Amino acid sequence: MERLDIGEDLTRYLFQDAAILFLILDPAGRIIDANNYTRRLTGDDLIGKALPDVILDFTGTVNLPGLLQKNDKLQLLNVRTRSGLPQTFYFHFIESGENILAFGEINSLEIETLRKNLLSANNELSNLSRELQKTNAELVKLNELKNQFLGMAAHDLRNPIGVILTYSDFLLEEAGDVLKEEHAQFLAIIRKSSEFMLSLLNDLLDVAKIESGRLDLDLEPADLVALIRNNVTLNQSLADKKSIRIIFRNDMPLPTILMDRTKIEQVLNNLISNAIKFSPLGTTVEVNILKSANHLTVSVRDDGQGIPESERKKLFQPFSRTSVKSTGGEKSTGLGLAIVRKIVMGHGGKIGVDSEVGRGSTFYFTLPLTPSNHE
Amino acid sequence: MNGLISEEIYDVYLQALLTGERGQCVKLVNGLLERKISLYDLYVHLFQRAMYQVGALWEFNQISVAVEHLATAITEGLLTLVYPLIFAAEHNGKKAVISCVASEYHQLGGKMAADFFELNGWDSYFLGANTPPEELLKLLQDKKPDLLGLSLSIYFNMDSLHRVLEQVRGSFPELPVLVGGQAFRWGGSDIAEKYPAVTYLPTLIDLEAFIRKG
Repeated sequence: MERLDIGEDLTRYLFQDAAILFLILDPAGRIIDANNYTRRLTGDDLIGKALPDVILDFTGTVNLPGLLQKNDKLQLLNVRTRSGLPQTFYFHFIESGENILAFGEINSLEIETLRKNLLSANNELSNLSRELQKTNAELVKLNELKNQFLGMAAHDLRNPIGVILTYSDFLLEEAGDVLKEEHAQFLAIIRKSSEFMLSLLNDLLDVAKIESGRLDLDLEPADLVALIRNNVTLNQSLADKKSIRIIFRNDMPLPTILMDRTKIEQVLNNLISNAIKFSPLGTTVEVNILKSANHLTVSVRDDGQGIPESERKKLFQPFSRTSVKSTGGEKSTGLGLAIVRKIVMGHGGKIGVDSEVGRGSTFYFTLPLTPSNHE
Repeated sequence: MNGLISEEIYDVYLQALLTGERGQCVKLVNGLLERKISLYDLYVHLFQRAMYQVGALWEFNQISVAVEHLATAITEGLLTLVYPLIFAAEHNGKKAVISCVASEYHQLGGKMAADFFELNGWDSYFLGANTPPEELLKLLQDKKPDLLGLSLSIYFNMDSLHRVLEQVRGSFPELPVLVGGQAFRWGGSDIAEKYPAVTYLPTLIDLEAFIRKG
């Protein structure tokens, strides 16, 4: 049978309209011509390029003689497109005289499967995200309930503990001389325990308040240096008991900044008393203040045991305990740093710690300068 | 114009959706949420209207299936912006299971229906696209819902819907079932007459009215 001569029409179709890749390569694998579809996909500058500049296998190379030997099998190869994203095509390489013809097609059946798999994966992901959001909303509600309970319980427990504290105080003061020594010791233990319980309840109330979004800040301009001096003095008697020296030096004039004075006092007191709590006898606690372009940074350094890196992250979370022990048997509620962190963040500041085991720790927090303070 | 969604806003949104500009869509929806748009308006007059139009453009070969999938994926992503509001609604103790049938890959309509139940205080369990009947029956057994919703987008999957309805009726003869979805534009809305306790609801608007009626 005589074959129809459709060569010219076929060539025109291949070069102009066909939605397949069609390239002509010289024997060395250099691209000497390509159809419109290829040019649109890869960019017009592909003529003269070597094959690996445009087409690669999945290992990032391309072996033309190898591909020619497998000319009865389709090869899955990646094409560098002008968008920068590679696109995968099934290639067929044919020797035609001196030159090599390369045809690249899409396998639509396989694409359909891929499309369905992709769709399923996307659907699954979006359903998981829905479930996650739903669980999250439930957790938020549960957390609110927990805070309500915490607040209520702490509030209702505070009164009876206050009574225990007041009466044990009264008995120790008024009846101290008629009590047996042993009984006076028991009373002192009752008093000390109820004092600790009261501070724990106060911290719990603080946490409940802060977590339920009721961190009411009463912002007014205040002098941070004066607050620090005041707090150092207040903590001096605690330090004296352990022969610890608290050093605070500041010669620079610093601007007043907006803050809730009582809450920042709470932060300073927590950091300074903590430093004393975890410092060995006879060491030094150093408080510093620094001004930078946007904020003031206060740091409190101690010569304590230092905090292992693995424990530093959870330090600011409620009820977190570390392996670090206080040096004078002082107790802690495990809530102080969590409260302090919320207060600092509420002011738009940051809090953190640098520490080295065996060398000590430096806790620091920042407070933003009010806009007029910026240099 | 429907509430906050003017024709202009709708057009900008649709263009962004069709060109795959997810960021633009997120910005627009966040803007509407900040202006306290009702979630009902957002779902019906933006998400549903745009996706119906995307579906129509695809049916008439004006956009490729890839564009349709991209628009769907973007919309699914936008729903997550609304979830914190939807799931915060007070719950009334009623439970609904919503599912797509086997071989149905379009799940957006079903998911929006499930969200409407949540918004109205129900607990909704959404089984995604292409759910085998056995899995659906197992969940019905586990959750013992007050209602089952079945969503169908492609008319060719009508047989799957009938098969699953027969199975559900066999195991849970009393359970109220809602059916709906874009597939019914091509016919089959008489399905409610063939099975007891099955109701056909053509749109999300009808679904909202149905839920509110209690």
